Amino acid sequence: MAYLGRILHGFKTLLTGLRITGRESMRKPVTLTYPHVEPKLTGAYRSAIKLIRFEEMDSHDCVACLACEQICPSFCIKIDGGKIEGIKKKRATLFEMDFALCSLCGLCIDVCPTDTLEYSRLYDEAGYDRDWNMDLLEEFRDFEPTFIEQQREREEKEAAAKAAKKAAAAKAKAEADAKKAAEAEKAGGDAPKSGDAPKSGEAPKSGDAPKSGEGSAS
Amino acid sequence: MPKTLAEMLGSPMLAVATGLGGVMGLLSFNALFCIYLERKISAWIQRRMGPMEVGFHGMLQTVADMVKLLGKQLITPKGIDKPLYHLAPLVVFAPVVAGTSLMAFSGSFALHHIDLGLVLVFTFGGFAVLGIFMAGWGSNNKYALLGAMRSVAQNISYEIPLLLSALSVVMLTTSMGRTVTVGDETVAVQGLNLFHITMVQMDRNVWFIVLQPVAAILFFIAVLAETNRAPFDIPEAESELVAGFHTEYSGMRFALFFFGEYSNMLIGCMVATTLFFGGWSGPLLPGPVWFFLKSYALMAVMMWVRWTYPRLRFDQLMRFCWMVMIPLSIVNLLVTAFFLKVF
Ligand code: SF4
Ligand code: SF4
Repeated sequence: MAYLGRILHGFKTLLTGLRITGRESMRKPVTLTYPHVEPKLTGAYRSAIKLIRFEEMDSHDCVACLACEQICPSFCIKIDGGKIEGIKKKRATLFEMDFALCSLCGLCIDVCPTDTLEYSRLYDEAGYDRDWNMDLLEEFRDFEPTFIEQQREREEKEAAAKAAKKAAAAKAKAEADAKKAAEAEKAGGDAPKSGDAPKSGEAPKSGDAPKSGEGSAS
Repeated sequence: MPKTLAEMLGSPMLAVATGLGGVMGLLSFNALFCIYLERKISAWIQRRMGPMEVGFHGMLQTVADMVKLLGKQLITPKGIDKPLYHLAPLVVFAPVVAGTSLMAFSGSFALHHIDLGLVLVFTFGGFAVLGIFMAGWGSNNKYALLGAMRSVAQNISYEIPLLLSALSVVMLTTSMGRTVTVGDETVAVQGLNLFHITMVQMDRNVWFIVLQPVAAILFFIAVLAETNRAPFDIPEAESELVAGFHTEYSGMRFALFFFGEYSNMLIGCMVATTLFFGGWSGPLLPGPVWFFLKSYALMAVMMWVRWTYPRLRFDQLMRFCWMVMIPLSIVNLLVTAFFLKVF
């Protein structure tokens, strides 16, 4: 009887197996027909680093501080850059990364003072060389002259705004001083120097020129 | 009564030529189609999609593979037993053609019509073992030899339950009526005639799987083992034996073994259809259509089984045969005989 029982039990388990595979075969395939459809990457997906394009400046904001190049444990970042003629901001002129060496550790991203690095979402990149240099500036290069132009305008505007603010502040101060002086006068004192205000308005503009001149040397 | 091809064409030679062409065509189509089906079924079970790129839903994938195999170099290893090595693929392949031509496709047409059809089919089926052993022995390779020995042990063991379960159907056939009436002629039933087995089922309006469920299951399992299909594919056991008996075969020679395996599956399923599922009988559609529908449904079940179960170990395989299959089939035979005698 035990013999028959075992056979029946075995047969039942066999049917269970068939049922499971039968059920699975009816379900939708989980295959991703890769070249035909785009894969859905997980949120934490990491790929080669890239420079973020900031909306307000329509370009990256790498100031070539070399912090990432120095912290990279794989020595795979190569940067050149610095002062650019005509603007205050420093810019990178070369940003290469050897993806074959990169361990995707993320240190460069953490260390960047302007937060302009992030992981890209590349998934089907292929290298054709033993060293796999990616030019991260490539997409920004064409735009760079325009960017510099715009940046200069922006800086000028900024400077003007700053100057105006300063002038306004000085004016307000002068007025306040005048009021005070008037009050003091009323009280019996004499009016102190009231010709200060126009002078301080000019000051920042004249200070700019020497600074932008030395940038191209580095 | 089914007309044979020779009667229809009037010339035996012509009949041989057309029959051979037809059978080869059928088997080639079968091999291509089955490989495709197998890939698709395995993919569905594993929730993949299977071949999708070559042709519509990958239909032409196997054709492409065939072309690839045709173009491959035939590598002949050193130290082989030349006649055995070269003959083996043919010995596996030729009986398959002969076996297929005996099938009872339809009630009105036959390639051959002989009273001992069932015996002959099993005889030809037995040849496959010989071919496999020749391949293993002739290859001068230990894996091939091991695979071949396993195959022989397995095939010879499982032939017993296969024949015993078929025998109970034969007994049923002969006992259920000494004659069947087809059209306006009455024929004496021969239990070993594949056409008669189908006719009796049609005549009594019952499939033998209803009367012989145990025999049907045993037969099906034995066919799986006979054709070296998983979970009984230990002669090939790629995780242990590289590829078993066909380790040393490449290109078209290998393709012939493959061809033989799928053809053997088809023959097994066709015999099972005849014995247990009423052969060509069925409403509306013509006989051959029903016959092949049923056969390929069985084939799909075989593939389903293959992709469900893990491979047996050799001792498990043997124990299963000698401790379960053979006793059960003998008991089934005795019970059948008892009931036939009493009622
Ligand atoms: S992710 Fe790590 S290894 Fe890759 S470039 Fe940045 S610091 Fe170097
Ligand atoms: S740390 Fe940031 S700003 Fe500095 S060089 Fe690297 S990317 Fe540029």
